[in-house]
Amino acid sequence: MRKLIIISAGLFLAAIYLVFFYAPVESVMGIVQKIFYFHLPLAFTAFFSYLVAFVCGLLYLVKKESKWDIYSAGSVEIGVVLTTLVLITGSLWARPIWNTWWTWDPRLTTSLILWLIYAAYLILRMSIEQESKRATFCAVMAIIGFVDVPIVFMSARLWRSIHPVVVKSNSIAMEPSMKLALLLAMFAFFSLWFALFRIRTSGGFLLEKIKHLENRIMEK
Amino acid sequence: MKQAWFIIKKDLMIEFRKKEALMSMLFFGFLVLVILNIATGIGSKVASSVSGGILWLAIIFSAVLGLDRIFAHENENRCIDGLLLSPIEPESIFLAKMAVNLIFMIIAEVILIPLFFILYNNEISGRLPMLIVIVMLLNLGFSSVGTLVSAMSSGIKKNDMMLPILLFPVLIPLIAATVKSTTELLGGAGVAKYSQWLYLTGAFDLIFFGSSYLLFEHVIKEG
Repeated sequence: MRKLIIISAGLFLAAIYLVFFYAPVESVMGIVQKIFYFHLPLAFTAFFSYLVAFVCGLLYLVKKESKWDIYSAGSVEIGVVLTTLVLITGSLWARPIWNTWWTWDPRLTTSLILWLIYAAYLILRMSIEQESKRATFCAVMAIIGFVDVPIVFMSARLWRSIHPVVVKSNSIAMEPSMKLALLLAMFAFFSLWFALFRIRTSGGFLLEKIKHLENRIMEK
Repeated sequence: MKQAWFIIKKDLMIEFRKKEALMSMLFFGFLVLVILNIATGIGSKVASSVSGGILWLAIIFSAVLGLDRIFAHENENRCIDGLLLSPIEPESIFLAKMAVNLIFMIIAEVILIPLFFILYNNEISGRLPMLIVIVMLLNLGFSSVGTLVSAMSSGIKKNDMMLPILLFPVLIPLIAATVKSTTELLGGAGVAKYSQWLYLTGAFDLIFFGSSYLLFEHVIKEG
């Protein structure tokens, strides 16, 4: 775990160096564009968290092993934090560029609704004491939340979009030096994701171990 | 199917004797319509661009009240354990509860929608068949995911607010699509203008009917 944290810290320092000193300042947007190097990896890792929660939720329902519940819960917690940061960094960028803090664009709307769904998941998690019930209900919520994502995106897209599409399926519309900075930032965020995931889940496992020990003491 | 029919009959019989769910649904739906009329300016004709939203807000709020009740009386005296012990498939319980909720919603809508047109001076001459299509598409999506979430929330003793908290975020695309198509319809647009929204509602219904049907067994066994 310590290794992961050190690696993430190193990657972040390198990414910050590349973003601010190596990559050129964007000609139209100026310095504000720098936020993009953090915004995009945040969005990717947030979405990745929900994917992990969905897969672990399915595995929990199939296998009924508590480790899948711990994994699923850990990644949703990280996902909600990352989505919050996506919304905040997006707003900071949108204010000078679009001249508004918020607009009902598909990507913004989808992120906001995702935030609502998984914040509801966290409330659900807080309000159930009994473990197997909590795990099952949370797994179900992680699944229906994730299944909702494509429909949310489609419905938001039927309105209109002003969000810039920088990363398309076949190419990235950027300078090579900017691409390098973005790539490193991406690596930094993913390694941070895994570090956070390890920390959150090891907490969950410790809690389980304590309960197990308590039960054994009670039996004696 | 026969098993589901037994549960539907039982639930409807209880409801028609007690009338608690339907009464509160109708009263609350009417209340929301009146309050929104006052909030948007008494007496004035509401623009068609917002009237779709008002109608669905009233219907969805009233439907949540009904949804909350469909598992409530199974929890009294742990009747749900009896249902699970009986040789009834969990899938039949799901279908039955979903059908009961659909029936409640349709009864409430048959009364609330005309009231809406009276209170808001709206005209629907000739567009009624299309409105029924929109209403039924919403009902199906709402009931399928609603039955699943209601089974969850009725199993949580600590928090009475769980049903809307869990249900509404998931329902947002369905509500958005329904409001959009209703607004277009009331504004006098042709089907071509909002058919995309109808497809989207249909997709929501299919996806959530399928996933709720499959996930319900896990939920009801824990509840």
